Amino acid sequence: MKKTFVLVSLVLLVFGLILAGCPSRKVVQPEIEQRPTVTPKETTQKAAEVKPEEKITEQRLAKIETKEETPKYIEERGLFGDIQFDYDKYDIRPDAKPILQNVASYLLKNAVAKILVEGHCDERGTNEYNLALGDRRAKAARDYLIALGIASNRIEMLSYGEEKPLCKESAEECWAKNRRAHFVILKEAGK
Amino acid sequence: MKERFKVQSLRPELRPRVSKFKVLIFILLLFTIHYSLFTIAEAKVYIDISSPAFKKLPIAIQEFSGPSGKEISDIIRNDLEFTGLFFYIDRNAYLENPSQPFNPKNWTPLGVETLVKGSVQEGKDFSVTMSLYDVFEGKEIFKKEYKAEREFIRPLSHAIANDIYYTLTGETGIFRSRISFVAEDKDKMGIYIMDWDGSRITSMGLKGNIILSPRWSRDGAKLIYSTERNRQWGIYLLDFKSMSERKVFSAKGTNMVGDFLPEGNDITFSSSKNGTPDLYIMSLSNNQIIKLTSSYGIEVSPAVSPDGKYIAFVSDRGGSPQIYIMRRNGSDVKRITFEGSYNTSPSWSPKGDRIVFVSRRGTNQIFTVRPDGSGLTQLTTVRNNEDPSFSPDERYITFSSDRDGVKGIYIMRANGEYQKRISPKNLRASGPRWAPN
Repeated sequence: MKKTFVLVSLVLLVFGLILAGCPSRKVVQPEIEQRPTVTPKETTQKAAEVKPEEKITEQRLAKIETKEETPKYIEERGLFGDIQFDYDKYDIRPDAKPILQNVASYLLKNAVAKILVEGHCDERGTNEYNLALGDRRAKAARDYLIALGIASNRIEMLSYGEEKPLCKESAEECWAKNRRAHFVILKEAGK
Repeated sequence: MKERFKVQSLRPELRPRVSKFKVLIFILLLFTIHYSLFTIAEAKVYIDISSPAFKKLPIAIQEFSGPSGKEISDIIRNDLEFTGLFFYIDRNAYLENPSQPFNPKNWTPLGVETLVKGSVQEGKDFSVTMSLYDVFEGKEIFKKEYKAEREFIRPLSHAIANDIYYTLTGETGIFRSRISFVAEDKDKMGIYIMDWDGSRITSMGLKGNIILSPRWSRDGAKLIYSTERNRQWGIYLLDFKSMSERKVFSAKGTNMVGDFLPEGNDITFSSSKNGTPDLYIMSLSNNQIIKLTSSYGIEVSPAVSPDGKYIAFVSDRGGSPQIYIMRRNGSDVKRITFEGSYNTSPSWSPKGDRIVFVSRRGTNQIFTVRPDGSGLTQLTTVRNNEDPSFSPDERYITFSSDRDGVKGIYIMRANGEYQKRISPKNLRASGPRWAPN
């Protein structure tokens, strides 16, 4: 009786070893070291076990319509030139100041008008960082206009990063044009 | 007396009367059974993925008999070959016909070690049976039947490839996974989804003037993205369960979404609503917003670690854009990139052991680094390569590249091998993200 008990507990120990041994992976070499001593009949029975049948299906993707939002403003373009920036920088350059003065004068004369400052970059950075850089460029222009006496609630900002270039050549002349802040007059829609 | 039974000293039940000889035979028998069970059980692994210098497993994939059999077996072949773990032996060399039963003698002379055979039944829908054979042991080791409607021929083939891959490597395959990306859609940009191999490109219909790379939730049921519509940047959520879109956040300024937090209900994003781009966390359930960073400069591109404990991000607080890691609550900020003057676009590997990012060295190249800043490795060298992200098993990386002229979507193995374009050449595409499932 005790012998059976011993046998059972040792077999349990072996199973424990097997479970512990499973996660370790061995590369199967063509010359296998340990050959099973169990009969071939047992081997093929285990291997030919057919897995349960699987139905393959997936969600059919439907198109989603974007809700069209009515624009708040009508835009008037072309009144002012763009101001340009140095590579990776958002400081206002001396050659930008006359243009910014022009914008400020217009806004002082037209007390109802609002303006949108777009910030842009050349293609050489990565999209998200360029969006942040364009944002800083728009902000720099906005801060300058505020310093010239324009109320902050009349100046909107928007960054386009590298997404809306004026030209697409990979050359400094084109890149310099793309590193810009652009000004758009906003008139409220319906007026 | 006790020394004779050293091995059994742990077993107090053993009677000292049992003869040493019998005990030794017994132990020998147990070890034999242990190893034999080990080799018979499905736990036999043919490819050890974790081993640094494994040998590619020679595999033959016979053309499946029946209608569309060639298409199915070709898809399986492309899937397995892309892993770089298999050495595919061409059909021209095969001695056995698809209709003939498996005979190892037809395969061993070709050096084939594993063999895939299958058959497709005639019918309205697909009914495919696949068998996987161990040529060396001369036996079938896996057999399964698959059913699918005709339109799902590719997911069906990929499911078969996944089962083959799992049986031979013990790892879950990614062959049914998909990649989301952004591409031009007439005069606007749209969100697209395609299979990981570039097939079945589907437009989601969502549009915006500009869309930034959508991010998947961990359960793959939601996509979150930032888009400029009507002169304002907003963050929107696409819910696959309801197939609908809703606006999640909008404010004046540039708002760019980052990753979901692992629990699935919070998102990270950057916004310049308070002046300069800073990082925030927002709860999708109650819209509560927490500010994480407040530096004077630019903080963008928050990437959440898989365990949700850390956030990698880009900041120019040191004078140039570099990658930093902080704790989820914003504390303990550490810089991790020190080479190059422009390091952006971080994305974590699913196991959290690596971060893939872009470093501008003249042109933009893809690098990986460990979260502690060590192990910097360059993966691309030509033209501009951006927007990298890992596959769910972290064995591959998807990215965008303009090396062929028009920016498109590419994939490569995580060590930089086998870089391949998967989006069509006439489609301007970027911002790929590998779905988690």
